[in-house]
Amino acid sequence: MRKEVPLIITFLAGFFFIADYFIPHTGFSNIAADVNGWAIIVLAFSYILGVGNVLRINAQRIAKKEKDWVLKVILVLCLFFMLGIGIFGGIAEGSIFDWFFVNTYTPMQATMFALLAFFIASAAFRAFRVRTTQAALLAITAVLVMIGRVPIGETIWKSFPDFTEWIMGVPQLAGKRAILIGAALGAISTGLKVITGLERTYMGQD
Amino acid sequence: MGIISFLYKDNPWYKFCEALFVGISAGYWLCTVFWSQLVAKLWDNVFATTAGQPRQYVYLVGGILGLMMLLRLVPKIGWFSRWPLAFVVGGTAGAYIVGYALSNGMKQVKSTILPLWVSGNLYATVGNIILVVGTFCGLVYFFFSKEHKGTYGRIAKLGIFFLMITFGASFGYTVMARMSLLIGRMDFLFGTWLGLIK
Amino acid sequence: MNKRKFCLVAVIALIALNFFALVLSAQEASTSPATPSDSRWFDTNRFNVFITLAIVFGAILWFIGRAKKGKSLFVRRIAGLDAIEEAVGRATEMGKSVLYIPGIHDMNDIQTVASMIILGNVAKTIARYDIPLIVPIRMPFVVPVAEEAVRQGYSSAGRLDAFVKDNIRFISDEQFAYAAAVSGIMLRERPAANLLLGSFYAESLLLAETGASTGAIQVAGTANIHQLPFFIVACDYTLIGEELFAASAYLSREPKLLGSLKGSDLAKAVIVLAIILGTILETAGVKWFTKLFIVQ
Repeated sequence: MRKEVPLIITFLAGFFFIADYFIPHTGFSNIAADVNGWAIIVLAFSYILGVGNVLRINAQRIAKKEKDWVLKVILVLCLFFMLGIGIFGGIAEGSIFDWFFVNTYTPMQATMFALLAFFIASAAFRAFRVRTTQAALLAITAVLVMIGRVPIGETIWKSFPDFTEWIMGVPQLAGKRAILIGAALGAISTGLKVITGLERTYMGQD
Repeated sequence: MGIISFLYKDNPWYKFCEALFVGISAGYWLCTVFWSQLVAKLWDNVFATTAGQPRQYVYLVGGILGLMMLLRLVPKIGWFSRWPLAFVVGGTAGAYIVGYALSNGMKQVKSTILPLWVSGNLYATVGNIILVVGTFCGLVYFFFSKEHKGTYGRIAKLGIFFLMITFGASFGYTVMARMSLLIGRMDFLFGTWLGLIK
Repeated sequence: MNKRKFCLVAVIALIALNFFALVLSAQEASTSPATPSDSRWFDTNRFNVFITLAIVFGAILWFIGRAKKGKSLFVRRIAGLDAIEEAVGRATEMGKSVLYIPGIHDMNDIQTVASMIILGNVAKTIARYDIPLIVPIRMPFVVPVAEEAVRQGYSSAGRLDAFVKDNIRFISDEQFAYAAAVSGIMLRERPAANLLLGSFYAESLLLAETGASTGAIQVAGTANIHQLPFFIVACDYTLIGEELFAASAYLSREPKLLGSLKGSDLAKAVIVLAIILGTILETAGVKWFTKLFIVQ
């Protein structure tokens, strides 16, 4: 039963959502919306497991005084602090929770995002170390598109931006479509294997 | 500043900021999920409905499945957590089969079926030929049942060239977007915070 | 009451509860203000999608059937997938860990499902060599799935004793907090091999570049087109789109899974033929064939 019941549930859930696309019956659609709601609630409960995982692992490191254990204390304290002010004080705009979100979380998030500019420069340097024809093609296309999207492109050649648009709209699109169609077949195949129980790694075994 | 110091190397200031960021974000998301999903979707719909609104007991099922997830913490009955797991994974598989078939499959195939000759429009004709040939060669590359040898191998190689053009174009397109993010942060640091830029 | 009876009672109770709740919900829907309702049980406008799925399913199931009968199925070498074993081998030689990053999406993304399947195969390989497998996770629901996948991998290799649950770590739901923490793991724990397989967004560049700076061998794979260029540039091997989904069949070499791979190849061949036929017809001015692919 430990193996059979989950497989049956996987099968039923999978075919239910496939059927939902083809069955326009209002009652069925309402049921599908409710079933979708169950999935959202299940995912929400899993956050408790996730935070439990964080606390368990960090508590062990703190107890054993492993390297950088003080930082783990800071991590756990911040976690409890946000939980406390969020659950007891609410998350509405203007609350302490919201203040911490705006003044600590958001700037750090934005800064991490901004780091990408530096990393993309390093990635570009790596990309332009051309060793093969394929790498050369990638590098040349990247340079052409970059130049076409800045004012200097138009200065060099009046039709440079149009040429960039053509690259994006024709050869780039051709490769993209091939990847998308391939990925669609791969996803359908994986989905079918999961629903029919051919793939059950995610379930583990006794 | 602590986050940016990571660019130089890993250092105590970055480690402190990382611990702060991870701790605050983990707490933030649990609170947000608690209020927006557990309370709003489960509790409010089942137990604390407003006057005149019927109770939606159907959400109790989600609650029960969610509690079964938590049974994972008890080793002896932890296997019950496979039921909600199976439900979510199975539902995902079903939903994505349809989603991918539509957006990545049929729509892309329809968009690829183009006339190879557009009367009076050489630009469109050449564009269509390149699109169809490029998509065809790209699909040949993703064929796993045949070795890339001979003529077939050359077609697959042409497919890789088209893929490299795709990646190069995407790379170039993204560079500018990332640069604008950096400019925003530098503007905050040197303008708003230090007042060096007015 | 024995376990089997208990499970049976629990399943029946769950189904009864579902039915009861759905009946209540339907009753409330019927007493609510009139909304446009549809009583059809099949949307005929979507018949073309039904046929397409039937063809793809048929192709896959047919080849799985052939595989079950013992027919040998050839699959060409995929460099990126061979590189996963090479990466594990290198980590073993250096006595260092393998870092497996399963993407940043939840289990309601098929790429994450595919990543978990691959994780099981990777865990089975790693279990033989007694090196740590670190799996940092962004979405909490993925944690139990990853634990099950890794545990099964170790169990299949007969090394359940080597399974370390604490190596599967939930970090944070926030995208860049996750990226910051994983970058920290790469710099401090210095894994010899980084496997980035799943659904990624903007953090892909950060992770790939940080990993490259540590000198680790990196194998990445995603179906998110916009992140592939960064992986191509920063990683040693990249699995492009469908190759990620093919990984489980390729790594396990199980006949039924290889059969599914061949099946999707057959479906691809049908699509290619459809494109060629459609293009010829469109060039000749015949439009009806293209209309078969219109999605409502």
